[in-house]
Amino acid sequence: MGEALLQIKKVSNFFGMVCTARDLDLDIRAGVLTSIIGPNGAGKSTLINLITGNLPVQSGSILFKGQDITHLPINQRVRLGICRSFQIVNIFPELTVLENILIPTLAMSGRTRRFFSSVSRESAAYDQVANLLGKVGLGAVKNSPANALSHGDQRLLEVGVALAVNPTLLFLDEPTAGMNPVERVRVLENIRQLSRGGQTTFVLVEHDMDIVFSLSERVVVLHRGEILGDGPPDEIKNNAQVREVYLGDSV
Amino acid sequence: MNSKPGQFLLVVLLLLLLVGIGLFTGRFTIYLTMRVMILGIFALGYNLLLGRTGLLSFGHGAFYAAGAYGLGFFTLHLSPHPLLGLLAGVLLAMALALIIGFFCVRHTEIYFAMLTLAFGMMIFSLIWNAREITGGDDGLVGIMRGPLSFFGLFTLPLSRDAQYYFLVLAVFIVSIWVVHRIRVSPFGLALAGIRENSNRAEFAGLSVKNYRLAVFIISGAFAGLAGALETLLESNARPFMAHWSHSAEPVLVSLLGGLQTFAGPLVGAVFFVAMRELIQRLTENWMLWFGIVLLIIIMGFRGGVVGVFKRLAGGSRPGP
Amino acid sequence: MLQSLVHVLLAGLSTGMFIWLVASGLTLIFGVLGVLNFAHGSFYMLGAYFCFTVLKYLGANFWLGLLLGPLCVCAVGFLLERFFLRYVYHLALPYQLLLTFAFVLIFDDLVKILWGAGSVSPPGLATLSGSVDILGRKFPVYNIFIIVVGPLVALGLWGMIEKTWWGRIIRASSSDREMAEAIGVRVPALFTSVFVFGSWVGAVGGGLAVPYVGILTSGMGEAIIIDAFIVAVIGGLGSLKGAFVGALIIGVLSAFGTRFFPTFDMFLTFILMAVVLLWRPQGLFGGSR
Repeated sequence: MGEALLQIKKVSNFFGMVCTARDLDLDIRAGVLTSIIGPNGAGKSTLINLITGNLPVQSGSILFKGQDITHLPINQRVRLGICRSFQIVNIFPELTVLENILIPTLAMSGRTRRFFSSVSRESAAYDQVANLLGKVGLGAVKNSPANALSHGDQRLLEVGVALAVNPTLLFLDEPTAGMNPVERVRVLENIRQLSRGGQTTFVLVEHDMDIVFSLSERVVVLHRGEILGDGPPDEIKNNAQVREVYLGDSV
Repeated sequence: MNSKPGQFLLVVLLLLLLVGIGLFTGRFTIYLTMRVMILGIFALGYNLLLGRTGLLSFGHGAFYAAGAYGLGFFTLHLSPHPLLGLLAGVLLAMALALIIGFFCVRHTEIYFAMLTLAFGMMIFSLIWNAREITGGDDGLVGIMRGPLSFFGLFTLPLSRDAQYYFLVLAVFIVSIWVVHRIRVSPFGLALAGIRENSNRAEFAGLSVKNYRLAVFIISGAFAGLAGALETLLESNARPFMAHWSHSAEPVLVSLLGGLQTFAGPLVGAVFFVAMRELIQRLTENWMLWFGIVLLIIIMGFRGGVVGVFKRLAGGSRPGP
Repeated sequence: MLQSLVHVLLAGLSTGMFIWLVASGLTLIFGVLGVLNFAHGSFYMLGAYFCFTVLKYLGANFWLGLLLGPLCVCAVGFLLERFFLRYVYHLALPYQLLLTFAFVLIFDDLVKILWGAGSVSPPGLATLSGSVDILGRKFPVYNIFIIVVGPLVALGLWGMIEKTWWGRIIRASSSDREMAEAIGVRVPALFTSVFVFGSWVGAVGGGLAVPYVGILTSGMGEAIIIDAFIVAVIGGLGSLKGAFVGALIIGVLSAFGTRFFPTFDMFLTFILMAVVLLWRPQGLFGGSR
């Protein structure tokens, strides 16, 4: 516990003339629930995109469990254990909730190579899916098409699809945005439990300071593509620079 | 028609109808029905690509031709056994699909459509120009239908259309069954995910490129199968099979019948052949009328024939 | 030997210019509207046929034909975009491609109906006829004219896109449509104007082709659209510069192919395309789209 799971070394990224990541050096440690905060445009989503493979790394390198993943395609990073959820709901809209979770479940166990047997026979996968749906609280709507769900349920599904690949390192991009308080509590409890379980290390990108400071063991502050602060929540709360740039005087 | 017994009954009835056509109707009806079934096989395989992964290929005629010429070369030079010939055609088509697919599936939709179009026409011009090997614009001629012999136990002659009909029917049924199995398999589910959201599919651990290539090859195999069947039917293989206007046929058929539905390509094949026969009887300008029909479908009836039936039968959600 | 090479090169350049004229409209339409117009070869063909009609029935003034013919095609392009294409922009890609493809079918047959299924031969040209002596072999003056016109068109297009108000709006709208709408650009009208303009350039290509090819057939649209596609892809979809460079390369390559490797002439073009795409998937000058 505490060894570097993910190492980001001098990663830079430019979007035209705008620098979205400047020589970033960051280590994500296993088992430490980390939050990444920063004002809009700080480069949080860019960072997740770079780590997970949605954006190509222009310079620098990224190591996961010691292995260089800088130029690996997305699906290979997922298979190594890195995954993410999206800020804007990014699921399989016309498929059912069940199918949404089933796809990553089957994919990760290599079962999607089977083109002659029937999906309905994949009982092991169905069990896993039922388990996950129960955890996130979507069991009741499992046969509804994803785009027929309420917004809150869709956000739950969004996280669910990411969890379904059993990731070692999971980035959640504003997971509770748009959720009502009940759903929010449930998701956060899930994250807290799973984080304690030790299988998955969570990294949250969040705007809600209550969540950040109550849940996280470590807070990283990004500003204009650079790291402004990095440490336990209390330290960050009291960091003058961070307060000025991001928190204003409202904390 | 969503109940299992209802569907089963429908399938049985259609089967009886097809068998009945083979036994009791005249030569022309038998010939037309075979054309429908062959086109149905072409479109069914094609729709795995278009309907399940959303990729529009304008070059599948190349695989149709590969199947045709593959069978042609095999039958003319190696053995007249029809099943082996079909296999030869399908294998050649799959090999070609592997090569062309490898270049094409790494690209996104527009580039994919244009690349497949260009590769298809490349095959067309190759076949057209290599006169000594492929017969140029005459194609391969004189391809005979050898009898079906099973390990010397008994032989079934296929020389008459009415006899060949039943081989085509058998292959048709097997094709439908195979495509159905693929659709309901985990692989089929992965394909649906890729169509819905290819980026998320990557994050589910799927190598989208590889799955697209796999479907490309499978659909190419069915195209080759159809091409080989047509070659045995007409006794010749023509370069026009690889032309882009022929490549557009399965697209039209799928659209006409209803994209993303299983029965769509089959229903579309019936309507397509029926329409073509009708239009060609009335006017020389069938392309004009096809264009108009296609226009009407795109502007107003995107669910195709199946979509229209669904709407009439009880208001399902409107088509894509 | 040198004579052969130079003549093949010149022939390739002239063919390339026709491909450039069609590909430029194609890539412009794609860059701004995001639509791949399969019917662009048909605009080229219609431009040729309309020009031919003017030549044949309104006196043999080529320049008049070159003026009026493409204008008629503009009307056709307007109808296509305004009443059909506009309604499918929001649909998935296959529908847009199939819509323009439907028009290919329709135009091909309309040409056969209106001008007969066979080929037609335009009357000979008064000006720009004859040939000059280059390295001991004759080369048509008209082809030299074409080789000069091509870059002029390129220059003209570049000037329009970079220097005029309309060009600026086009550039803004293709990189960010929502923003353009937000600041008041009437995007639908802009799209129509770009489509019509693109069809005009293609039709001019067709008109210019009339004396060059000597015979018009209803297959001529088809023949050029594939080359135009390849050129646009090699150059990078949306890039006029890329289309120009691509057209030159393909034109010259085809000419060499036809002269020295006749069985494989189209093959070389496709090989080049495959190589370029493997090396740079977005084309030589393509951005990300």
